[in-house]
Amino acid sequence: MDREAEFRRLYEAHRVAVHAYFAGRVGDRQSAADRMQEVFQRAWQHRDKLTGLPEDGQRGWLFTVARNLSVDVARHQRTADGTQRALEHESAGPQAPVGVPASTAVIAAERAAVVAAAIARLPEQQRVTLTMAAAGKLNSAEIGTALGVPAGTVRYRLSLARRTLAEALGDYDDPKEGEQ
Amino acid sequence: MNLDDDLATWAATVRLPDADAAAIFQRIVAAPPAAVTGAAVAPVAAPPAPAASSAAPQLDPAWWRGFTAGFTSRMVASTAPVRLAA
Repeated sequence: MDREAEFRRLYEAHRVAVHAYFAGRVGDRQSAADRMQEVFQRAWQHRDKLTGLPEDGQRGWLFTVARNLSVDVARHQRTADGTQRALEHESAGPQAPVGVPASTAVIAAERAAVVAAAIARLPEQQRVTLTMAAAGKLNSAEIGTALGVPAGTVRYRLSLARRTLAEALGDYDDPKEGEQ
Repeated sequence: MNLDDDLATWAATVRLPDADAAAIFQRIVAAPPAAVTGAAVAPVAAPPAPAASSAAPQLDPAWWRGFTAGFTSRMVASTAPVRLAA
């Protein structure tokens, strides 16, 4: 197999997870894509070494680079308000599924906006973990390997994040309930 | 809708479209090595650069951070007020 094909396989295996990690960190899809590109540019430079590693090893290498890049991201990170605006902007227009009634699509879009706003307000560790699970489709063990924390910690963060989101959606579904 | 459905809807807005991911891949593999490593420019389909080239020093951000931290420490230390002998 030629080297570009091997690298493409590595890229396709990990790009969603790496992008989700940065989306959780920086809050918007395009900035996350820029960071993801930086990570894979380095991977391309070290492709001879990387393509010989097992998938876990590749993920470990990629996320070590990603976490180091995040140090730079943190220095230039937007304010919490900026992140929230970016997330709300990203979720401003989710596309309605084909064949779904307009009213259902509107409700889905509104709920997605509530979810986006609640996620933007989460503590960063919970936000990154939740984004990697929801957008990156990684399980707790994979997220733990990527972030360098035990899987139990990942599950705890996910639990806290989901509880916060459930409360936010509960307020949206029944505003009076939150006032009682 | 339940929370998982809402999260899935939100995740779809965050996830990078496949077309964008493909464009990024093409940019990465088409970029000349000289842009980052200082090595000689090679065509995309060329054989990999020799080991000596890939091991050449690079402008690694981690190295720069270490250098900057050390330099700053030395600067601060060298400009600290000197206690004069009584």
